[in-house]
Amino acid sequence: MEALQNLLMGFTVALAPQNLLFAFLGSVLGTAIGVLPGVGPVAGVAMLIPLTFQMSPTGAIIMLTALFYGTQYGGTITSILLNVPGEAASAITCLDGYAMAKQGRAGVALSIAAIGSFVGGTIATIALVLAAGPLTRMALQFGPVEFFALIVLGLSLLMGLAGKSMVKALMMGIFGLILAMVGMDPVRGLPRFTFGRMEFMDGIGFVPVIMGLFGLAEILVNTEEKLTSVSVAKMSSLVPGKKEIGDSVGPILRGSVIGTLLGLVPGMTGSASSFLSYIAEKKVSKYPDRFGTGMIEGVAGPETANNAHANGALIPLFTLGIPASPTVAVIMGAFMMHGLIPGPFLFKEHADVAWGVIASFYVGNVILLILNLPLIGIWVKILKIPYGLLFAVIVAFMMVGAYSVSNSTFDILVMVLFGIVGYLLRKLDFPLAPIVLTLILGPLMERSLRTALDMSQGDFGIIFESPIAVVLLSLAAVILVAPAFRFFRKKTETLSGEEGA
Amino acid sequence: MINPMNATIKKGRLPMVRFDLFRSAKLLSILMASGLVLAVSSAAFAAEFPEKGKTIQMLVGFAAGGSTDVGARLMASGMEKELGTSVLVVNKPGASGQIAYTALTQAKPDGYTIGNTNFPSSVVSYLDPARKATYARKSFELLALHVIDPALFAVKADSPFKTLKDVVDAAKANPRKVKISTTGIQSDEAFAILQFQKMTGTQFAMVHFAQGVASAMTAFLGGKIDVLCANVGDLLSQFKSGEVRILGIMDDESSPFYPGVKTFEQQGYKLYNSSSRGFAAPAGTPKAVVDALSGAMKRVSASEDHKKRMADMGLTLRYMDPVQYNAYWSEYEKTLIELLPLTK
Repeated sequence: MEALQNLLMGFTVALAPQNLLFAFLGSVLGTAIGVLPGVGPVAGVAMLIPLTFQMSPTGAIIMLTALFYGTQYGGTITSILLNVPGEAASAITCLDGYAMAKQGRAGVALSIAAIGSFVGGTIATIALVLAAGPLTRMALQFGPVEFFALIVLGLSLLMGLAGKSMVKALMMGIFGLILAMVGMDPVRGLPRFTFGRMEFMDGIGFVPVIMGLFGLAEILVNTEEKLTSVSVAKMSSLVPGKKEIGDSVGPILRGSVIGTLLGLVPGMTGSASSFLSYIAEKKVSKYPDRFGTGMIEGVAGPETANNAHANGALIPLFTLGIPASPTVAVIMGAFMMHGLIPGPFLFKEHADVAWGVIASFYVGNVILLILNLPLIGIWVKILKIPYGLLFAVIVAFMMVGAYSVSNSTFDILVMVLFGIVGYLLRKLDFPLAPIVLTLILGPLMERSLRTALDMSQGDFGIIFESPIAVVLLSLAAVILVAPAFRFFRKKTETLSGEEGA
Repeated sequence: MINPMNATIKKGRLPMVRFDLFRSAKLLSILMASGLVLAVSSAAFAAEFPEKGKTIQMLVGFAAGGSTDVGARLMASGMEKELGTSVLVVNKPGASGQIAYTALTQAKPDGYTIGNTNFPSSVVSYLDPARKATYARKSFELLALHVIDPALFAVKADSPFKTLKDVVDAAKANPRKVKISTTGIQSDEAFAILQFQKMTGTQFAMVHFAQGVASAMTAFLGGKIDVLCANVGDLLSQFKSGEVRILGIMDDESSPFYPGVKTFEQQGYKLYNSSSRGFAAPAGTPKAVVDALSGAMKRVSASEDHKKRMADMGLTLRYMDPVQYNAYWSEYEKTLIELLPLTK
């Protein structure tokens, strides 16, 4: 009850006219930054911090956090409409979202994404109010060993991303892992596969790679065809039908849980949440083969998960004072610039700020939903712009986006190169999602394994000392072995069938 | 006013040209005239640094919002008032600062490009041949040391370790069993632990969290790590909430952020280590310009407003002028040359 009372007090702060205005400004800016390809939440929040110097701490933080989860809404828009991920966590939405847009169902996809984002963000915030303490204690159980096991499980689900050919999917997965090896060795600190180039020391930039693989490659493929606009004809259905809503309930709920839980774990990124949600949906679905052809589940799950993740990632900041992601680290900086130290003490010393900010999460999510639903009609009209013109504008924005990640022209080269690679791979009918998945999870897996081995001074036994890790790894083993059995069984069945005939 | 002129002659290609010119009195007079113009313009240039409306770029080799960035931004905003021109922070994160250090040392030495220099990253990057740095010690013209963030040892509140001696005893009884965190093999924490091991004759199980202090802290609060080695700015919240006990701080004075916590020195271990942050210009920047920049930094560091803002952020302000900073750099470089082989 005390939590409820505090929350009500928080609402009086969050609903004060000036704070409402800041939440609104943050939401609008966040949506805009999300829409711009490549310009992600970290850059957005960092750019805005100097502007907040003169504001009250509560207003400043409300605006910055609104901007943070606002980007998760905005990132979806270009993924669905143009196959260009507005930011990393929305990359996976391209697969089914863009397929839906090509069928004239862009409005439906955007609506479901907005609703899912709202539900995900709200559920994560409710978790923050009701169960922040227990959830945090649970997240703390995840040390390097458990983290490693979790990622192995995620990667073994990679098979779930296989399109027509398992072999091709695995090849792409390995390609992604090889790319992930580039850069400084996480423990020894020695450069690997950098060809003497300093720019490679931090590895190959993830944002330029996905923009190239998805966005630029899409544009290259499209330019081969006659430049006509997408089937705008069937754009009438903006509102999702009963069946689409029904199909989305499960993915939205699962996405909320996945995003909130992974958000709690420092080091997990929003993209990892949305990818794992996509894989989970494909595993659960009765029609896994149809993923990639415009399944609403493939939009609803990941889009919910990345928003739940954004809000979930703020939980450890409030309970432990630990920033769980780079963007949250920037937000933590904003707290401190205003003389506030985020952590459990904030609730005692500055209860109005803490609860005001939390209440503003609800307010912000409502604002974003109200803002986004009517705008869908306008966003969809983007597709009516002649393609020749639209492409030029998108390419320009992608260049700026790639540059903005670390103010480096090298990243533009990386993006262009991966645009060409993506184009060739698509021509050869290779799936692109496994590359991105392993590129995200590979470094996380390596780091956690190496850290775990540091802890045991090289003894692999440490992995089997953790019950959580053992359970997760056994699950992974089952997932890896099961299809092999099914494969042989099918073979014998077809063989016996032939004999019968 | 003469100094910038001298510097130009020493550094530039002028002496050779002058040699040719002695053959022709006419040309000599042209040289003298142009030399005069140069002298006048340099003098004007120095007097006018920074020119009105010309932006000074401050390169920061770490991401926006991090503690290096925040300290640099507070300095930049103070310098804007002192110098009357805009000071723009440009983040060029990557390769532990090396990308920005390279850009800084290759920039035009005119004072309009300056950058942050962090210990240990700026020093270790050119000392370690594997990093293939294109710069060296002499590539930096130091302007000021701004912040030191001393390293510390912390344990969870329920840990059996009450003092540094308890940690040393445990490590002696169980070599390579006491788990202690760092934020990477070339981080200040790693160097500090190496020094501590050498000093006490112990061996720890060093666990490197290359992703940064947040991951180390999570593992630590989850009980996976026995001792957290971090910096003063990292534990403000956890100290306040009573979750952690800080065993010692590696500084020569106690920290205002942790009242009642002893230094290593006070417990008999003469260990001082920190992640420190200063500013530099590219080598070859005219002396008058260097003086203008370092003077502005000195005045900013002394201002009450700046002191308060830095304290709010949990940053330990420790100003050193270029002479002191140079001496500190030399001493620090010597320590790292000793320790670096131990990390391989």
